[in-house]
Amino acid sequence: MEGSLHELAQLILNGVITGTILALTGVGATLVFGIHRIANFAHGEYLTFGAYMGLILNTGLGQNLAVSALGAVVGTALLALAVHLLVLKPLRGRGLVAMSLITVGIGLMLRNAVFMVAGPQIRQYAIDQSAVSDLGIARISPGQLVAIVITVVVAPAMALFLGRTPLGKSMRAVADNRDLAAVAGIDVERVGAYVWLLAGGLAGLGGTMFAAVQGAFDPNLGFEVLFLIFTTVVLGGIGSAYGALVAGLVLGLVMELSTWSGLAGGLEARFKPVLAFVALIGLLLYRPQGLFGRARIL
Amino acid sequence: MDFLNPAFWTFVAVVAGIYAILSLGLYVQFSLAGLPNFGHVAFMAVAAYTMAILVVRYAVPMPLAAGAGIVGAVLLALILGIPTLRLRADYLAIATVAGGEIIRYLAMNLPDLTGGPIGSIGLLGPGQIAMYNGDWLAFLDRIGANLSTLVGVRVSRDAVAAILVWLLAGLLVLVLWRCERSPWGRVLKGIREDEAAVTAVGKNVFAFKLQALMLGAVLAAVAGLLLAWQIGVFSPEDYQPTLTFYAYLILILGGMNRLLAIPVGAIAFSLLYSGTRLLNFFPLSLIDSGSRAFLRLFLVGFLLVLLMAVRPQGMLGNRRELLLER
Amino acid sequence: MTVLLEVERLSRSFGGVAALDGATFAVEERSITALIGPNGAGKTTAFNVISGFLKPDAGTIRFAGERIEGLRGDQVARAGLVRAFQAPRVLTRMSVLDNMLLAGKDQPGERLSLNWLAPARVARRELEVHRRALDILERVRLLPLAEAYAGTLSGGQRKLLELGRALMVEPRMILLDEPMAGVAPVLAEQLLEHIRRLREERGVTFFVIEHDMDVVMSISDRVIVMDEGRVIAEGTPDTIQRDERVIEAYLGRLAPASAGQGASP
Repeated sequence: MEGSLHELAQLILNGVITGTILALTGVGATLVFGIHRIANFAHGEYLTFGAYMGLILNTGLGQNLAVSALGAVVGTALLALAVHLLVLKPLRGRGLVAMSLITVGIGLMLRNAVFMVAGPQIRQYAIDQSAVSDLGIARISPGQLVAIVITVVVAPAMALFLGRTPLGKSMRAVADNRDLAAVAGIDVERVGAYVWLLAGGLAGLGGTMFAAVQGAFDPNLGFEVLFLIFTTVVLGGIGSAYGALVAGLVLGLVMELSTWSGLAGGLEARFKPVLAFVALIGLLLYRPQGLFGRARIL
Repeated sequence: MDFLNPAFWTFVAVVAGIYAILSLGLYVQFSLAGLPNFGHVAFMAVAAYTMAILVVRYAVPMPLAAGAGIVGAVLLALILGIPTLRLRADYLAIATVAGGEIIRYLAMNLPDLTGGPIGSIGLLGPGQIAMYNGDWLAFLDRIGANLSTLVGVRVSRDAVAAILVWLLAGLLVLVLWRCERSPWGRVLKGIREDEAAVTAVGKNVFAFKLQALMLGAVLAAVAGLLLAWQIGVFSPEDYQPTLTFYAYLILILGGMNRLLAIPVGAIAFSLLYSGTRLLNFFPLSLIDSGSRAFLRLFLVGFLLVLLMAVRPQGMLGNRRELLLER
Repeated sequence: MTVLLEVERLSRSFGGVAALDGATFAVEERSITALIGPNGAGKTTAFNVISGFLKPDAGTIRFAGERIEGLRGDQVARAGLVRAFQAPRVLTRMSVLDNMLLAGKDQPGERLSLNWLAPARVARRELEVHRRALDILERVRLLPLAEAYAGTLSGGQRKLLELGRALMVEPRMILLDEPMAGVAPVLAEQLLEHIRRLREERGVTFFVIEHDMDVVMSISDRVIVMDEGRVIAEGTPDTIQRDERVIEAYLGRLAPASAGQGASP
């Protein structure tokens, strides 16, 4: 049972780390989905963009990780805002399917632009991935350490921002009930734009974190994560920021723990995404409001 | 490949025809029944894998295996459709693309069943190369020989394939055209606009939608089989969601609600797509051929956005009858 | 007079609020019965539940002796109980004629395979449906507009189309939800005329939600009054008008003459 306990501890650690990345990214995504009412199929590519911005700063310009992450955040935030102002906002009202197709197109453009500029080869940040720290009960890689540091800094700041600042509260209000917020005097358009900045920034951060944790990545990073983000958003309730925080952690943990050998051998690691897909479909069918959303009449 | 190489263009013609058939399937689901199925490619995958596994492992005769492939796709349509048809549009899109990805992931990670990431070649296990399209090639050769004697000029395999595929596509267009103008098609048209009104006059909306989904699956299955036969190998990589969006682009190019425009859209798409292979002049020559693939996909995305923004009715569509606002 | 529609202890809540609270009533065959009551009384909810568009939480519904609660909307329509909507739901992107053809009953052509396996039968029925549609369109005086997109019709014309469409389904009973609302006086008169005539000539039963008391008084044989999800009174229009419970329920909200019934062409 010794090995099993070690394995469990490691899985919990991995799950929490993956979970927090999903949680942070999910907060941005859920606010955007809730406010703008679109399924943004390009969201994953914002993560990719962030990861590569970080890469350029880190390995290209020799900046340390903190600066690189910051650069990724700013860059992706601006990208998201630009896409919103130039494409999504003018084309609003085309209908759900049209908007979905448009975001698919944007995603294709982003992903392949990165492919063209940065090439398809696998990349790494300037982190010595072999410097793994042994905590006794589990091992933690440098990339994971980076993620933890970022989380410790960003997560409370995020919670404070959403809970205490006027803008944060406005965002949650608009995501929860757009019309009511407008009636209460909130400038919905302005908040909507700021939300894209936030979501973009968080996506950029999430991309950098994923890249650091995975160690190696290529331009497909975002697409592979897209459905995990969708699942996080739906699980937490579309538009519920706190819901996304919890849902991200839950999803990360569940995915990792599902592979625990103590669970009748456990799920094979390569089927983890399938678990997320099935969960997503199940949620959409039976509980689209997720854990914390209100049951809206669709 | 050289600009003027006819073999290249013949191959493009075959693929264009196959994409046309794929898009016809999507047309039934999306343009006729209003179902934004983003997982269309999964029907191709299921048909191709079913056929290949039966032929390669169990020596099932090809016509039977092909039939089984189509049945498999229809079963998937039922499994996917029955729960999800009542979802609203964007949720349906997400659920279907997730469903398609599940199929692809399973194909990739169950090597004993599907050959894993290697694909169809690996269906007989490591160390053996599994091929399933011997019958198809022999069939093409037979027809090619007969045609050659008839016209006095040597007709290549690909040319025969192109002719057959386009004949089939044309036939399917006629069949669907008739379906569209039937009472069945009329009910679907009503469903697209207002389900409650159609229900109020006694039509079972769910049943009609499910039928459209299944019919679309059959067409996608046919396209999947043809593509698998023509190329001779396939792997999970070939069934990424991108392929579904090619079909959407073809629909949009031709005009979302115009059946007869789909062949036009398919040809336009194939020209655009393959054309980038040939643009060897500056500045595109700066991009190496490997990156051209990414450029192609970039352009697909760009066109998708552009067309949806500027001309959702495509080249030949009727804006007034366009139904995008749901 | 036989009872055609029988509703017993029908209940339906939305998020804790009971829209229907044990409503019980009956509608006689070949009658024109009005359903009235203050706003929020549960009238439209009753229609939605009866016609199968909403599931009841409790209660039974009998139509022509058969239990129909729990049936889907399309099944109820095929059983002979057809509803029209408060805001007419015509298919604007189809022609008036196509709207009618679509509603035709028992069309083998709606089964995809039969179009190929039994084309003659499909064509024959299509012809019959076509004739019936033109016939009905003529009677509701929409025939000149047969080829026009239904989206170009005025509000009143759309109501006539909905009525015609309902007739295509060969109904025994039609549910009308505020048929006079927003209809120009001339067309409103026509609608009333059609309702009367259809009852006389074809024995169609009408169950009508109405706010305009003039209309209720002039056209209905019987009136059912609802308030807060329950039936509080039933009787002839005269009896109802003098019933104290009814007056109290409305608390002076009864619309005298046609005040407030804005008619737009």
